Amino acid sequence: MTDTHSPVPRPTARSQVRRGGEQVVLTGAAVSTAFGRGVQPLLEAAVAGRPGFRPVRRFDVTGRRVAVAATTDEAPRLGDELDRVIGDACDEAGLRREERADCPLYLAVHGDPDLPRASEADGGRLGVDAFAAAVARRGGLSESVRAYTSACVAASTAVADAAAAIARGRAARIVVAAGYLVEQDQFALFDAGRALAVDGRVRPFSAHRSGLLLGDGVGAVVVESASAANRRGASVLARLAGWGRTGDAYHVCKPRPDGVGLARAIGDAMQRASVGTEEIGYVNAHGSGTLQSDAAEAAALHLALGDRALTVPVSSTKSVHGQALEAGAMIELIVTLHALRAGRLPVNAGFLGPDEECRLNLVLEQSAATPGEYALSVNAAFGGANTALLVGAP
Amino acid sequence: MNALLPVDTAPAPLTDAAISETSDPTLVARAAAAGLIVLAVSAWPESADDVAAPALAGFVSSSFSPIAAEVARRCLQRRPVPVQGTDPATGLIIVSALGDFDSARRVAQAVDSGGRIAPLMFFQCVPNAVAGYIATRWCLTGPVVCLGGEGAALDAAGLLLEDGDADEVLVIRVAQAATELDRDSADAILLAAGVPQHERGRT
Repeated sequence: MTDTHSPVPRPTARSQVRRGGEQVVLTGAAVSTAFGRGVQPLLEAAVAGRPGFRPVRRFDVTGRRVAVAATTDEAPRLGDELDRVIGDACDEAGLRREERADCPLYLAVHGDPDLPRASEADGGRLGVDAFAAAVARRGGLSESVRAYTSACVAASTAVADAAAAIARGRAARIVVAAGYLVEQDQFALFDAGRALAVDGRVRPFSAHRSGLLLGDGVGAVVVESASAANRRGASVLARLAGWGRTGDAYHVCKPRPDGVGLARAIGDAMQRASVGTEEIGYVNAHGSGTLQSDAAEAAALHLALGDRALTVPVSSTKSVHGQALEAGAMIELIVTLHALRAGRLPVNAGFLGPDEECRLNLVLEQSAATPGEYALSVNAAFGGANTALLVGAP
Repeated sequence: MNALLPVDTAPAPLTDAAISETSDPTLVARAAAAGLIVLAVSAWPESADDVAAPALAGFVSSSFSPIAAEVARRCLQRRPVPVQGTDPATGLIIVSALGDFDSARRVAQAVDSGGRIAPLMFFQCVPNAVAGYIATRWCLTGPVVCLGGEGAALDAAGLLLEDGDADEVLVIRVAQAATELDRDSADAILLAAGVPQHERGRT
């Protein structure tokens, strides 16, 4: 196994960043959101800029400042939805039963949904690893599981870790899954924290943006080594060309305003992919719709991409499907890779007018332009955690 | 621990006696078995005086974040002094099976009873929040990751070191008491790659 280095180190990347020599691809992807099951309804909403926000009827929102989210009225069980997307992603990848049985599961979730209301005696048994192990067992996957709980970068960190392990030859393939279904506890917390958009719309990078809105999101991808996929004749959905994860060391929950930490994550992903700024044709931004986070992210994109930040098409698909917390980055990765495959640009919905602190080339309406060969999916979370995933056309 | 140490940072590996007094020997043994260098360790509690961890500004009601911050402080104050001119990037991995169980239960009770939820609970219910506190306090600029189990954490730490995402990784394991009969416990372990720095990046 050899290390791969970019020929020209990027100023925003750590000079020491490296990866194993195996190429990494995505061979299966499945998703369930407020738009229904499957990629197609989600992608259609994203390229049309048609938001899925509606009044919450799944639980009581009496007394909350905000009462909308991107949800259905039904209250599906998280475990059932995870089972479905994992099965669908493995089916699309064409994995046989014995191949699934060798496949580790990396699962990004907040925790076992039953934990907060469990008795003292039962609570200790409802660990997130036990929840992940049960999901793996039902999906016919291996007993090698790990659970990620890193808030809004949980899924992207899991994908990056899977890619790093596969690039180093530690595994032939890994199923990465993530899930969040809008429920009363997180809704109440975000409402109490005054984080939700009072006007009922998510308006990333826009003047008069007022916050985020939660949304359902359950998704899974099969991350695989290119040679393993080739050996079994699998179709490749996209290449996972590069990845980066960094910390801000700035604040408990606010992003670093100058964007240096997030820019390093983007630079690391580009360096691992040996991809230049001009080759990036689309950025699916974190774009939460909050005042500070969007401005910091715009600063990060300018630091990482230079002048290209003024011309590369940017949107945040959270403006359509909402914030799916631990699963958000998974939904955005799947939208991004399918936008790349379809040659369509998702729209940054809810835009009211420019903000001088967010000087970006936002995709504001359906466009004939295409994402090109490479697209970035960027995420940030509480604790100053940043990730960037760089996806390439197959 | 027989792996070579980076000659340009030259941290002294811990003695077995220091390890047995201050941390879970299983975690340390697993790290060493994974080929990682253990630079410093700490635990909660370490003595009978460890009854309640120092309060943490901005965090309320629950012991989860205070004990995580306290074991981080102890561990990082025991780290070898980096060679002048080096600026190691330190990654941070928080490991907990149940997360901040106490805060989660309080929120559920408030939701079910129609009670008020303190705005500070908004961020402290995810382990990333205390990770942000620790990273800021100690200027840790490497990746921030939260995981459910220690085996995954050691694997993830090893790969972050091998791939140059971090020069050191601080792994903090927090187990909040699930019942009145249990006690809160936590461990911190500061890790470095088990190969010389000048060898990193070679096959």
